[in-house]
Amino acid sequence: MNSLVQFFQTSPVPPSNAAHALWLIIALPLLGAFVSGVFGKVLGRANTHLVAVGAVAGSFLLSLLVFWVINDPLTGYAIGWDYGTWFKAGSFQVNFGLSADHLSGSMLLVITGVGLLIHVYSTEYMSHDAGYWRFFAYLNLFVAAMLTLVLADSMPLLFVGWEGVGMCSYLLIGFWYDDPAKAYAGRKAFITNRIGDFGFLVASFLLVLVLTSLTPSKGNQVKDVDAGAALSFKMQQKGTLAFAALEDGAKALPKVLADEIPSGPLKGMKYESALFVILLLLLLGAAGKSAQIPLYVWLPDAMAGPTPVSALIHAATMVTSGIYLFCRLSYFVVLSPMAMNVIALIGATTALLAALIAFSQTGLKKVLAYSTVSQLGLMFLGIGAGAFWAAFLHVVTHAFFKACLFLGAGSVMHGNAEEEDITKLGGLRREMKATWATFLVATLAITGIVPLSGFFSKDAILHAAHTTKLFRAGADGALVAADGGLHLAYWLGVLTALCTAFYMMRMYFVAFEGERSADAKVAHAHESGPAIVWPLIILAALSVLAMVHGLPGLMHVERNGVQVHQTLMENFLDPVFRTTYALRDQVKFVQPEIETSVPVAPFVQAWVIALVGGAVAFFLYFKKQGGSLLDSLEPLRKLSWNKFYVDELYTAVIIKPLTFVARAAHRVIDAVIIDGLAVRGTAWLTTRTGAALRYLQSGDAQSYAAIMSVAVAAALVWILLRIA
Amino acid sequence: MNELYESRILNLVIWSPMLFALLVAFLPKGEKGQIRTATFVGMLVNLWACAWAWSRFELHNADEFQLEYRMRWIDAAGISYHVGVDGLAIALVLLTGVLAPLVVLASWTYVDERVKEFHIALLVLQTAMLGALCSVDTLLFYVFFEAMLIPMYLLIGVWGAEERQMAAMKFFLYTLVGSLLMLVALLGVYFIAAPAGQRSFDYATLYNGLMAANRELSACLANNPTGPCEGLSGPAQALFTWGPWMFLAFSLAFAIKVPMWPVHTWLPDAHVQAPVAGSMVLAGVMLKMGTFGFWRFAIPLFPTAARQYQHLLALLAVIGIVYGAFMCLAQRDIKKLIAYSSVSHLGYCMLGMLAFTAEGATGSAYQMLNHGVSTGALFMLFGFLYERRHARLMSDYGGIAKVMPVFTAFFVIVTFSSIAVPGTNGFVGEFLVLLGSFKSNLPLAYSVAATTCVVFGAAYMLWMVQKVFFGKLVHQDNLGLSDLNRRETLAALPFIALIVLMGLKPQPILDVLETSTTRYLARAGYGTPDSNDDAVRVKVQPLPRPALVELAPGAPVGLEPVGQVANAQPQPRILRPRTPVPSAVQPIHPVMP
Repeated sequence: MNSLVQFFQTSPVPPSNAAHALWLIIALPLLGAFVSGVFGKVLGRANTHLVAVGAVAGSFLLSLLVFWVINDPLTGYAIGWDYGTWFKAGSFQVNFGLSADHLSGSMLLVITGVGLLIHVYSTEYMSHDAGYWRFFAYLNLFVAAMLTLVLADSMPLLFVGWEGVGMCSYLLIGFWYDDPAKAYAGRKAFITNRIGDFGFLVASFLLVLVLTSLTPSKGNQVKDVDAGAALSFKMQQKGTLAFAALEDGAKALPKVLADEIPSGPLKGMKYESALFVILLLLLLGAAGKSAQIPLYVWLPDAMAGPTPVSALIHAATMVTSGIYLFCRLSYFVVLSPMAMNVIALIGATTALLAALIAFSQTGLKKVLAYSTVSQLGLMFLGIGAGAFWAAFLHVVTHAFFKACLFLGAGSVMHGNAEEEDITKLGGLRREMKATWATFLVATLAITGIVPLSGFFSKDAILHAAHTTKLFRAGADGALVAADGGLHLAYWLGVLTALCTAFYMMRMYFVAFEGERSADAKVAHAHESGPAIVWPLIILAALSVLAMVHGLPGLMHVERNGVQVHQTLMENFLDPVFRTTYALRDQVKFVQPEIETSVPVAPFVQAWVIALVGGAVAFFLYFKKQGGSLLDSLEPLRKLSWNKFYVDELYTAVIIKPLTFVARAAHRVIDAVIIDGLAVRGTAWLTTRTGAALRYLQSGDAQSYAAIMSVAVAAALVWILLRIA
Repeated sequence: MNELYESRILNLVIWSPMLFALLVAFLPKGEKGQIRTATFVGMLVNLWACAWAWSRFELHNADEFQLEYRMRWIDAAGISYHVGVDGLAIALVLLTGVLAPLVVLASWTYVDERVKEFHIALLVLQTAMLGALCSVDTLLFYVFFEAMLIPMYLLIGVWGAEERQMAAMKFFLYTLVGSLLMLVALLGVYFIAAPAGQRSFDYATLYNGLMAANRELSACLANNPTGPCEGLSGPAQALFTWGPWMFLAFSLAFAIKVPMWPVHTWLPDAHVQAPVAGSMVLAGVMLKMGTFGFWRFAIPLFPTAARQYQHLLALLAVIGIVYGAFMCLAQRDIKKLIAYSSVSHLGYCMLGMLAFTAEGATGSAYQMLNHGVSTGALFMLFGFLYERRHARLMSDYGGIAKVMPVFTAFFVIVTFSSIAVPGTNGFVGEFLVLLGSFKSNLPLAYSVAATTCVVFGAAYMLWMVQKVFFGKLVHQDNLGLSDLNRRETLAALPFIALIVLMGLKPQPILDVLETSTTRYLARAGYGTPDSNDDAVRVKVQPLPRPALVELAPGAPVGLEPVGQVANAQPQPRILRPRTPVPSAVQPIHPVMP
């Protein structure tokens, strides 16, 4: 056993070689995208499949290698390489720097692993589509962008991936562009994401200002000169907004949190307020990408894209980048308890709202989309509770079971003539055995049934939200409790868990159990081929196996002299959150409960909740009892069916007024005031003046003489008066 | 021998299109193919000259103006033929050179009437634009600046769309108003900058002559910002009284050219009516004459007034950014939409420049190049569509992606560049401009407002893309549209390459721009307590001695040449040895307090 551990903790290649080759992980799918996109039509279907799948498979193998390398304690659990300057101007600099640690390493495996399965799945799913080359080009491009996002070691480079995945998402949602509704959904996704990007950009700029004010320079006296000098060094060496620099910036912050910023454009603002604002802006950015209130509206519409896209982009990878971002910047998060409250509340509210909408939806993919929004909300609750590892564990387990669910939904649609209305399916259990079995496993996983992975990850989040205490610095430096938001969020989260169990089981019962619906498009569904079924089986297996990461009490480590229990994932991510935990223990704003034993009661509670939710669905939709109850809830169902009219609200409050202002400004300011009054007015005045002066130049000598004599007389009179 | 050529590269850059214009003038009218080919070859030769000049530009050369060439012209008024380029100018020269052959390719079949005149106009326009960019003598600049108007007026007025005459007239008058005011102000500067007998229109004379007055004035205004300033010297007093007015006159001229809000209304009309070549040149190069003018003349010559009006102008720039984006949302005409998007993008250039920070200024300069590439490409690609369909409204299209897939791919890539998706050129410029603006002394609200256009920009561009390319093919006329042919693809590919290249490897260009940025910033901040005279003083070649003196050095000379830099002794041209390039990588040390 020990020798096996030894084997896997020894880097198979020199770490610097692996680090230098990190770019290959991105380059392979990028090359695949180029080849498929430009030559795909000429190469033909089979060759394009080979190129696209091969590129991702190559990335996957490289990612495994990198993962192995960063398990070596000698690497410090992270490798990185700087490929030189991207751009620099003034004192600002961005480098092409990639790095892989346990956080991005896990993401690498999820992206390329799940990505590979989905690529394989797509070869069959898209087998009848003429635009296959375009599809695989976009899909490969997406993988490349997503890998850039997680490998980037600075915020601007992360933003390349961040926008890149948004762009691919736009292209893939609108893949079937001749349907205006689908093209619109793509545009909506991109623009909503851009609102988030606005937050991201402003947050980056403010971070530059805050960091600069922490560095000592002529005319800038700082409190902590050593920390400032270290920060300044990192900013020059790695790039101004490199994560290494941000980490050093966070280390310099605790001493000055209550101080005012001494110099620069933010002068006079308190550091803690600046940090709060920055985190809220980042939350806006994350809300765009990860579909949280107020920007979640694009994700359900994004289901217009092909189903593999929904599985890869809108369930497993892209939408989790907001959580990834907050895990990366967790050292800032633990310094702002107020921001944590907000994050937790936003997350939990989104989770509950989306779950309530999912109650009444009948589209298979629609339900799954809202369930994704809801699960992402829970992950944000985890961030807000300071349980970054739990949030990230949920990212991983969710990637497995939600990808499985989406691909299962795709398989169902594939076998049922693209029917996705669950009320028009039914009885699939007997007709599509493999799809049924895997779908059931994934449903149980998301519902939170012991011992599937979803149970452990979700419970870890809720448990943390329940037990963690937040404090803020009071007037005299003492800590004041500030966890009202978090507590409320916890209860919302528990309610969400209940709702999740209900709507997921509802969907399962209606679509898979019972009799085949009379409205079904085809009388008998057919099971899909091996390229579709195998990915499903692997993902279902992973949904079960991933629970190992969340199994409590597996690791025992000593923290501050106390023997504590950790899950595998928590232990695994410890090196990533080293600074975060140090800062947390330094400022003591976040005080998690120290686990010295395995907590049993919360597990029982979570299990009971899942069972209750599932049981309600069982009686309502399998036993078909309580019909009168459903009827009496019709108004509520309608409200939920119409998604609480949020889209309509946005249209009325934001889009319509903006369009009106634009039209009005065009008609009034541009056409009338500037062009009409100012420009044509000047022309008119010139013409008129000319026309008036024309009369003076009549060519009539007598009138000239008359005017002259009058003028001379007037002049004489004036002179005489002056003399007198 | 090499140096003899190199000192005259800029002459080749400026005048080679003119030579080809002469050649084209002698070609028979009916030989359209010959005319087009000759022009195309001429533009390629010009591109080669521009690239040569670019490759000879030295990053570590302490001289501000490189590749200088100076010749006597009108001694009595202190005007010389004096050309040279700094970092910004050489970058814009290269952009102009790159765009020109593509412009010719793009209008190969677009223009079929008065082909000869059209191509002569293009070549003359090229000379005028390059001349304006390379001029060091301000009057020479002014001549070229005005000379640009005529061919462009003809391009719009003769080869334009239905309402071309109105648009051409509007363009001409609008621009002329500004530039006449500028001429008056230029004369004012001419008289203030140097005492009688030493007056000259050379940039060095004007700038160096105003330095003392500017420093005196800043010192006075620093103590009592609203005036009155007692005991100023003559020039400083004149600058105190008239400086703001002259600054505003320069600003108006350049603001119209940029165009800044609210003097932008000529642009949509001009673009809509102009032929594809006109739109490309207008958007690609001519608008930059405005920003270039601010950078070279308006702000450095009047730093105190510039700082006084910084907030106002920045506010106008921000209004332009937001307002331009809003206008786009209200358009139905595609060309008008692209034109208004120019207003928005050029607003970024102005904002970055007015931030007076290194990031902002460099970003602004880079944004000038980006806009030339992206918007030039947009106009060209739309030109291809217009040539096929002769319709400009979005409602005339829809579902074009089905019939023209390659065209759609190009257009979408350019769109992403225009909305500054990272990885494309647009991102680097926009990011630096916004960062510079956040770092500056401008109110945060300005910067935040400018950043909102990240959203609006995507909104209008993607809206247009959806209306034109996606959806069903509803119009019968669009069913038979053919995809890009070989010539059109060839014209589009360089743009795509530039978009990616400038997005991923911007540093070589940024390095060149940075040489200008440092001087620009030092000049904009001139007069503040920590400003440094040596960092801003313009050093140029002295006037060459008259030919007669060269022939007979001992002979008495009746009239001493005027327009010398005060301390410069007439001396024979000494060619500078090329400075060795210091090792590029320098160790990084932490900045210690």
